[in-house]
Amino acid sequence: MLGNIIELTAITVFFISFYGLITSRGVIKSIISIGIMEVSIVVFFLSFGYEKGIKPPIGQEIVNAADPLPQALVITAIIIGVALTAVNLTMLISLKREFNATEWDILKDRTHPEFNKNI
Amino acid sequence: MIYVLLAFWVISAILAINEKKILGMIVYLGVFSMISAVCFLLLGAPDVAMAEAAVSTFSTVFLIICFEKYFSLVTTVNYEPPQENPIIAKLKKRGVAVAFTLVICALFIFFIPNSPANTFVKDKYIASFMNDVGGENSVTAIYLGYRMYDTLFEALMLLVSVVAVTHMSMFNESLPDNASQLRGVSKSDKIAIYTVRIVCSGILLFGIYLIFNGHISPGGGFQGGVAVASFFVCKYLIHNIDDMQYKTLMIVEKLIFAAIILLATSFILMGIHIHFPQMKQLYLILMNSLIGMKVACGFMVIFYRYIAFERR
Repeated sequence: MLGNIIELTAITVFFISFYGLITSRGVIKSIISIGIMEVSIVVFFLSFGYEKGIKPPIGQEIVNAADPLPQALVITAIIIGVALTAVNLTMLISLKREFNATEWDILKDRTHPEFNKNI
Repeated sequence: MIYVLLAFWVISAILAINEKKILGMIVYLGVFSMISAVCFLLLGAPDVAMAEAAVSTFSTVFLIICFEKYFSLVTTVNYEPPQENPIIAKLKKRGVAVAFTLVICALFIFFIPNSPANTFVKDKYIASFMNDVGGENSVTAIYLGYRMYDTLFEALMLLVSVVAVTHMSMFNESLPDNASQLRGVSKSDKIAIYTVRIVCSGILLFGIYLIFNGHISPGGGFQGGVAVASFFVCKYLIHNIDDMQYKTLMIVEKLIFAAIILLATSFILMGIHIHFPQMKQLYLILMNSLIGMKVACGFMVIFYRYIAFERR
């Protein structure tokens, strides 16, 4: 059955970035698509148990608060996400220096030249 | 309110995906991150909103440095993919991708179980986190107490990624003597320099406030650490420091990681919080400050490697 609207929006954005990932011609667009994908997963996690007028789970007396468990899980995921972006960009720079290209097609030709000949 | 924001969120994602130029894509990614931070705040998660706002600045900075150093100066090769028929090629290129994405998206939407995560654990955590771990922020209590291993392995992941960045960027250790291409804000830009000079001490103060008040208010080690690291980025923009001691920073980061493991395991596994209840606040503040220092060191090392390796 259908979940609530925020979950649906998060899934939609996830698949928008998925579309960007499978149609990207440059490597840097793939990296940006992966970044958008991570944020959409975060919104999906945070939308569990959403009600109108929800409050943060902080303070002495906590009433009508959001679920603190997904938030604690997601904070670590965000920091790991930017570390992932940094590693991806470093790999991209290494590829650029080695093969002098940043497009997937050209990189495919230059890293495996025999692959296209056989087809 | 939140539905309007979600609409803008989807639109900014579509714009970021559809943009042709790389710099435009990066700017739309920044807009997307900012809107999603406000969404997190409305979903009742100020900690996550702060983390996203702090971290998105860093990912934007990394992307822009990478773009400035390796894309703007390079003569791109004009690559023409072989096309036999333009309409069939377009159908192949876009139609298959759109159909594939739509099918999987429909599968996800129609077969999603109703409310996958229930809130039984939430009531238990909210009722007893003050006795078990201490503090007034239940999110901090969870990631420093109940789910401490998450935090340990997250710190390990950050350490591994820092090591990966430094080792993959070690192509040419003997740097050439000519001045680096990217020199922060240029000296003629007085307005930017004075603005950054006024703002940067406030950023440092805000980061320290977030670290030391993480257990009673929104904030914590991760967010404060990233804010402190962005203070050092501001210092770089003003002063153009060329010889940042990143090797010392890496050693400091590893030592702090060892200290985090020792403190967390000794506190939780040896049951100090059961025998000495007055140590809870001290444990939370110590862990938050150690995590903050570690995250700040990691981001500083990554930023330095991006700025400094292979100046040309």
